[in-house]
Amino acid sequence: MAKSEDCIHILQGLLVFGNVVIGICGIALTAECIYFVSDPHGLYPLLEATENDDIYAAAWIGIFVGFALFALSILGIIGIIKSDRTLLLVYIILMLITFAFEMASCITAATHRDFLTPNLFLKQMLERYQKAEPDNNNDKWMTEGVTKTWDKLMLQNHCCGVLGPSDWQEYTSAFRVTHNDADFPWPRKCCAMDAQGLPVNLDGCKLGVPGYYNSNGCYDAISGPVNTHAWGVAWFGFAILCWTFCVLLGTMFYWSGIEY
Amino acid sequence: SPSTLPARLPYVPRVPPMALLGKVTATTFALDRPCCVFDRHANTSDTVWLVVAFANASATFRNPPSRADVPLYKQLPTTHSYMTLETAAAVYACPAPSPAVLRVGGDTACKDQGRQDPCNGPLPSPGPYRVKFLLMGCHGPKAETRWSDPILLRRALSPSTIDPVPTRRGSDVVVIASLLASLGTVLATAVLGALGAKVWSSLYQRDLGTSAFACRSYWTHHIPPALPQPLSPGCQCSPPGLGCLALQPPAPC
Repeated sequence: MAKSEDCIHILQGLLVFGNVVIGICGIALTAECIYFVSDPHGLYPLLEATENDDIYAAAWIGIFVGFALFALSILGIIGIIKSDRTLLLVYIILMLITFAFEMASCITAATHRDFLTPNLFLKQMLERYQKAEPDNNNDKWMTEGVTKTWDKLMLQNHCCGVLGPSDWQEYTSAFRVTHNDADFPWPRKCCAMDAQGLPVNLDGCKLGVPGYYNSNGCYDAISGPVNTHAWGVAWFGFAILCWTFCVLLGTMFYWSGIEY
Repeated sequence: SPSTLPARLPYVPRVPPMALLGKVTATTFALDRPCCVFDRHANTSDTVWLVVAFANASATFRNPPSRADVPLYKQLPTTHSYMTLETAAAVYACPAPSPAVLRVGGDTACKDQGRQDPCNGPLPSPGPYRVKFLLMGCHGPKAETRWSDPILLRRALSPSTIDPVPTRRGSDVVVIASLLASLGTVLATAVLGALGAKVWSSLYQRDLGTSAFACRSYWTHHIPPALPQPLSPGCQCSPPGLGCLALQPPAPC
């Protein structure tokens, strides 16, 4: 009798501990996803314009899944301590639904990260940066977002183009339509700036004299935060799901042993 | 006299060999300065011009006999050559600290105004072009360098040629998707199995005490309240008016 009592208590203790961890991880997931959705690097307009912003959708799902995990973990702890069959059944079913949503979020984040190639940003930059005549309101909104984001990126990270300033020379662009090649081989923001925000040496910048223009591409500055975002949602969610899987199996085992 | 042929200098104009990203663009190109080249032939009043011609028209170019006959920038489509960058010969004299390059095509203001001055406007087509320097005095050309190699300007592609589709699927996606799918399937199967087993056993009222889990039979749960005391054999009230009846104890099942 004593042995099976211990057995029960150990299982209860393990499940309570498992649910505590799920609750904490749920809060952490919510916090992490809120951080990503707040877009601290200002890259959302670029993703919105590619019409490929599903990693943000994944982060939004993560926020709600995190809350759900926290609430359900409390429900689970109560159900285990009281050995209430109904509560545990509700817990298991709701947890399964949450599991499914989190699965969707992880797979979405991981899959859509792969779509964000340098060529995607290059094509978008060439077609939208400083586009003079947008087709409609939506186009205008996206064009403004892309232009502002690129200006900010090039100034803050001292970079130019996606792979380098030669992007502007190798391809025609919306920028080239309004800015002639002789005066603007690349945008002014690619020039090394002084404290007043004016180019240090404009002729040196136009000629490409080392030191007077930004020779690096901005792709690293874009892909770094985007990767952190996507992998943060995907892998952390995956880890939570693995743990939740074990706790759920244990809870189902416990539930099936409770008799009326 | 005007019929004196200009001296042929061995200098060959060239695009600067150093690493300058903008030395050749779609409408401009850069040239090394011809420093110290004209020192033997130049007076203080002489000027050095740059002759720009399409590569296939350079053989037919004739030096202009005087400054008035210099072909201008706007005549490039018809005469297939023009002269620009009129500079005092002293600027290229030795020794002279100077910026290293000349930029051909850098003046976008002059092409629209149609001025008669020598205009260093952007080149209208990718070329190829050949250039040479010409030293002009009061009586005509005094010296010239050799023609450069053909200079081809950049041709830009359309961005519609860029293919944004990723080349290969990352391995992370495969790992996450396959592991999660299998976990989800196992869970769903486990829940359905447990529910199914419960439904099955409650339909057939089977005794579950013989299961393998040693803990199961003894798990705490809602302990039903204590059974009521069995009725003591004796009087049970019958409908009023009939009196007491002695009951027999219930027979064992």
